[in-house]
Amino acid sequence: MAEVKFEHITASYGKKTILKDFSLTVNSNEILCLVGPSGCGKTTLVRCLLGLMKPETGTITVGDRVLFDAKKKINIPAEKRNIGIVFQDYAVWPHMTVLENVSYPLKKRHIPKDEIRSRAMKALELVHMESYANHLPMQLSGGQQQRVAIARALVVDSEILVMDEPITNLDAKLREEMLLEIRMVQSRLKSTVLYITHDQQSALQLCDKMAIMELDGSLCQYGNDEDIILSPTNRFTFEFIGVSNMIPVSLQKDRICLDCGVSDSLDVEIPEGLDFSKPVEMGVRMNDVVFDNNSSIKAKVTSKVFLGSEYDYFLQLGNKEIRVQQSMLDAKLNGVPENGAMIGIRFVNPRFYPAKEVSSEAI
Amino acid sequence: MKLFNKDDSMAVLDGKKRFNLDKALTITTFILLLIIVIIPVFMIIFNTFFVKATTGHWAFDVSMFKTQLSEPKNLSAMWNTVKIAILTTIVGTIAGVFYAWLLGRSDIPAKGLMKALFNIPYMFPPFLGAMAWDMLLNGRGGYFNKFLMRVFQLESAPININSIWGIVFVEVSYYFPFVFMQVVAALEKMDPTLEECARIAGAKQSTVIWRITLPLTKPAISAGALLILTTSLAHFGVPSIIGYSQGIYTLPTRIYAVIYNAGGSFEGIRQGASLSVLLVAVVSLALIIQNKILSSGSFDIIKGKSTRPTLIKLRGAKYPLLVICIVTLIIIVVVPLVMIVLVSFLKAYGLPLKLENFTFAQYKRVFKGGGTIDSIKNSLFASITAGVVCMLLGTLVAYVVQKIKPKNKGALEFMSMLPYAIPGTVLSIGVILAWQGAVFGINLYNTIWIIIVAYLARYLSFSMKTSSAALLQVSSSLEEAARACGASHTESLADITLPLIRPAMVSGFFLIFLPAMREVTTSILLYGPKTRTLGVQIYGLRDAGMIPQAAALATVAIGIIIVLNTLVNYIVKDRKGV
Amino acid sequence: MADQIILRNVTKIFTTKTLGDITAVDNFNINVHEGECFSFLGPSGCGKSTTLRMIAGFEDLTAGEIELCGKLVSSSEKKLYVPPEERGLGMVFQAFAVWPHMTVFDNVAFPLAIKKVNKVDIKKRVAEALKHTSLSGLEDVYPGELSGGQQQRIALARAIVTNPKVMLLDEPLSNLDPKLRETMRFEIKSLQKKFGFTIIFVTHDQSEAMAISDRMMVCDMGKIMQIDTPENLYNHPNSRFVHNFLGESTFIKVEVKGGKVYPEGSNQALDIEIPKGVQGKMVIATRPNEIELTTPSAGGFKTHIEKRIFLTDRTEYLVPVGNQMVKIQTPHRVRYNAQDECYVKFIMPIWYPEDDEKTEAERNKRQLI
Repeated sequence: MAEVKFEHITASYGKKTILKDFSLTVNSNEILCLVGPSGCGKTTLVRCLLGLMKPETGTITVGDRVLFDAKKKINIPAEKRNIGIVFQDYAVWPHMTVLENVSYPLKKRHIPKDEIRSRAMKALELVHMESYANHLPMQLSGGQQQRVAIARALVVDSEILVMDEPITNLDAKLREEMLLEIRMVQSRLKSTVLYITHDQQSALQLCDKMAIMELDGSLCQYGNDEDIILSPTNRFTFEFIGVSNMIPVSLQKDRICLDCGVSDSLDVEIPEGLDFSKPVEMGVRMNDVVFDNNSSIKAKVTSKVFLGSEYDYFLQLGNKEIRVQQSMLDAKLNGVPENGAMIGIRFVNPRFYPAKEVSSEAI
Repeated sequence: MKLFNKDDSMAVLDGKKRFNLDKALTITTFILLLIIVIIPVFMIIFNTFFVKATTGHWAFDVSMFKTQLSEPKNLSAMWNTVKIAILTTIVGTIAGVFYAWLLGRSDIPAKGLMKALFNIPYMFPPFLGAMAWDMLLNGRGGYFNKFLMRVFQLESAPININSIWGIVFVEVSYYFPFVFMQVVAALEKMDPTLEECARIAGAKQSTVIWRITLPLTKPAISAGALLILTTSLAHFGVPSIIGYSQGIYTLPTRIYAVIYNAGGSFEGIRQGASLSVLLVAVVSLALIIQNKILSSGSFDIIKGKSTRPTLIKLRGAKYPLLVICIVTLIIIVVVPLVMIVLVSFLKAYGLPLKLENFTFAQYKRVFKGGGTIDSIKNSLFASITAGVVCMLLGTLVAYVVQKIKPKNKGALEFMSMLPYAIPGTVLSIGVILAWQGAVFGINLYNTIWIIIVAYLARYLSFSMKTSSAALLQVSSSLEEAARACGASHTESLADITLPLIRPAMVSGFFLIFLPAMREVTTSILLYGPKTRTLGVQIYGLRDAGMIPQAAALATVAIGIIIVLNTLVNYIVKDRKGV
Repeated sequence: MADQIILRNVTKIFTTKTLGDITAVDNFNINVHEGECFSFLGPSGCGKSTTLRMIAGFEDLTAGEIELCGKLVSSSEKKLYVPPEERGLGMVFQAFAVWPHMTVFDNVAFPLAIKKVNKVDIKKRVAEALKHTSLSGLEDVYPGELSGGQQQRIALARAIVTNPKVMLLDEPLSNLDPKLRETMRFEIKSLQKKFGFTIIFVTHDQSEAMAISDRMMVCDMGKIMQIDTPENLYNHPNSRFVHNFLGESTFIKVEVKGGKVYPEGSNQALDIEIPKGVQGKMVIATRPNEIELTTPSAGGFKTHIEKRIFLTDRTEYLVPVGNQMVKIQTPHRVRYNAQDECYVKFIMPIWYPEDDEKTEAERNKRQLI
């Protein structure tokens, strides 16, 4: 298995530039999840890697093999790139049996017949589909078809496995199972995997490394799951990862204070490099607002919804409505505040970002 | 003409190969469509408005068109055409919707069987039906008329089929399945909550039918009605068999008469061509009007989970309505069929239908001399060839339009769909004008190939439509997955795409083969002494007054059609597993 | 509060060709109070939709009777079935069911036009309904041009325009994306506050049901399992099925010996109170976010962190308890590393007899109807 390198890729559809000078490395034997909102250019990158689209500039290398180099005019055709791919809609060929599907890549590589069969069966065993070898795809469930697609991608020793939203069409329970399965297969084969998704939740569950793309096609953060969650580099990553409160704050007498009808000061250090002459907001995740009656910051409970695993509160903090999640454990141990009650709150792990401009707020 | 985007992303698919499969396919498609479709259409227009002057130059000249327009016979033919088409469309649509609702949404018994029976008229050649009804209700001596005169002591025949209404009646009985089938399908796919919602909103069942169900099936109804309208406008068989004796002409029969009377001379063909332009104008007008009506509301009713629709209880009306259905079936299916078979056994036409007048002699006579056998062979050869070529060509066009998507795929689509709007008669004239030596000096006249070329133009859109629909189901990721698995572009086509659309191609073939086997409209203008088709042979026998022989051959033809249809159903069913 | 919808011994048996008789709804007795939001919750094939369709009047009853607003509307004994259009209900379907051939205005005006309300009033009331569903200005648009969320709002506007006393909602949020689902849930609640109608809400999504309902019924395979408020159901489920269905559950096999609780495969006792009369093999049920990871001083079951998984809004730890792996979820601020020693405390677990699971075969069979 090899490392995959995209360097200075620029790609466009007609006049619309999707990727601009984009570089990214997928370390060998790791799962890299490339996450971004739909339309950010993730799929374009995959198509470039597969050879289904031609970038204008840059190079793509897998290990020491150059697949594409704009300057040297190298463009290996799709069928010779040796990349395993799993598509969102499975792309399992409906007119072939499961075994025929998985054997196809081997057949195209002119491998002896008896070897084809044994290798295909082995790939099917990897995804626990060996007993379905003679079924037609339409006799299988969505999850099973996806397994066949994975087996087909694994059957030739591709240098890299690309998965483009492979679990989006499955239901929640099956998604969990498939993620576990992908992880297991990867660790067994030590494959290099490029996993494309718009769902940050599944990416976090699966990845070794994660790369987050912004809507304009730029790479805004690269790191492991903890880096991304605990130290988001900018507001986009922070908001992309989960629902959060954005509360206006301002600098008063060298302390950061709330600025939303109440002006309690916060016990935090002033972050460097932030321009307080412009509006600044504090971002706090819903479960990082903690009930604490010793705190001087008070908010009023306007409504609460019981969601099972947690309580969801709407609190009025000055003129700002904030949302808070209280875990059941906390609820069981410390009780549930009533509607209308004034309660003390504390902010854990707050982050500070320049406020969005008014125009984008309106949208 | 600029065929491709400058930076054509498809080129990447083939790497650095010099030969580009996609480009080659696109260009081939353009050229073939040009030859098959555009040239005949162009020839008609050209020959109508241009005339070869004595100097040898072609000159613009509308005098021929003017003369034809001022001829009262032609004008009355035009009015008849429009009148018949509109009446047929209205009556056929009402009948189609009524039976579709009855069989699709009510609790009438024996639904499955009746749905199958109601589709029979669709495969039955209308001109044979017209023959049967003429035998029964001819104003001068139809068998049923004679029977009524005897029973009720009447002076003259009570019902005269040889009238505008007679033509409408026969056409309706064969064309209403167009609407029927579309509406039944729409009703089956409709989300039942759309109707349940109206009940909750306070509407009674009958209100729901009028305000919700019928408006929702409007797209299906319009599509079916359009098909009836254009088919009827262009139809030759029924008006020719029923209308001729009373001098009732329509544009298609008038075109035939003009050419026939001129003995196949070029002048006659030119007259026919200018009448054709008139017919095309009428059809186009109908299409434009229909398009206006259709575009006002297009919507998708096929969403939501498909639960079984709620069936409406007919209660007391159940059995009377069942009787109406059965009577309808008897009139449109059983009566004509029985009549043709009975007449085929008569020693001579006009004799009472009694056992002592029956003989097998007519069958022997028909098959003596070999003309009949030849006509069956000709029809089989022409239909199979046309079916195979159309299947391949239609798939090619569909592939280019749906998958390669060259810049001007709209033009391609238009070219392949054009013949759909052009009546068979008109197309035949175009084919005569084009392949009588006018293009590249190729003369196909009096050979079976000219009939095949006409069939190609006429039926291409059928196979193109079925292949298109199938290709739309083949998502591009299936081919891309094959590329990533190491298959070249050509291999992925051969291994993945073609096998996937094969069932659609096969049904596309039969969609052409079956109507081509029984058609008369196109071949009646194109046949030569040795290239009569089955339809032409029957038509000719009847025209020559040998009605029992015509009936005998018709019986054989119906037999062949039934056998072929059964075969098709068997094959298509067998292939559903793919 | 008066009972507005009453189901007495309602039973529905479907006769199928291949599977024989299937009891879709088995002796349901339900009283829904006026102004209440009552959910029918259960996996597919549990009978919830059939029950709703019987209340709406689309299905007749095999046995029992239904009373709506003090009036008998369905009775198998009296062969009485008031047709759906005379029951005065509002209803919203999963697939929206807005009529694509009518404009937004005509869709919403339909129920009034059917009742022959005069034109001026129709205009006024439709405008009002559209205002409440934030659709003002879209009167002349055809539904096909609108998003799923907007189409569902049309359906809502059409249902409230006649001011019905009872609103039936059949999985109205299932076809919407998760973010929109939450917004629509709030909108439905605020409409209820404004108009005061009673809601019957059918869903298979437990968090949705808990968020919206005052009370709910959990059913499974045609039987009512439990009826109560969301909090009571969540905290005191009367069966393993209900426990599992209402949220991620952890079941731990234990044995009660000599006044102590031992997890299977361990000699270390768990620090939990034993209810009276409990002895022998049992199962204790809890949830991943109701287990406390504590320090040695606070007591608890001593074990170690096997694996640490980082999720968006919480950290997940896999911790062995005896021979069973237990999943624990904590906020990110509770930090342990893999292989760290830790102590686990179960807060008020629920006790069930060892085996209380139904067969999968029966469940699969029901999916087919």
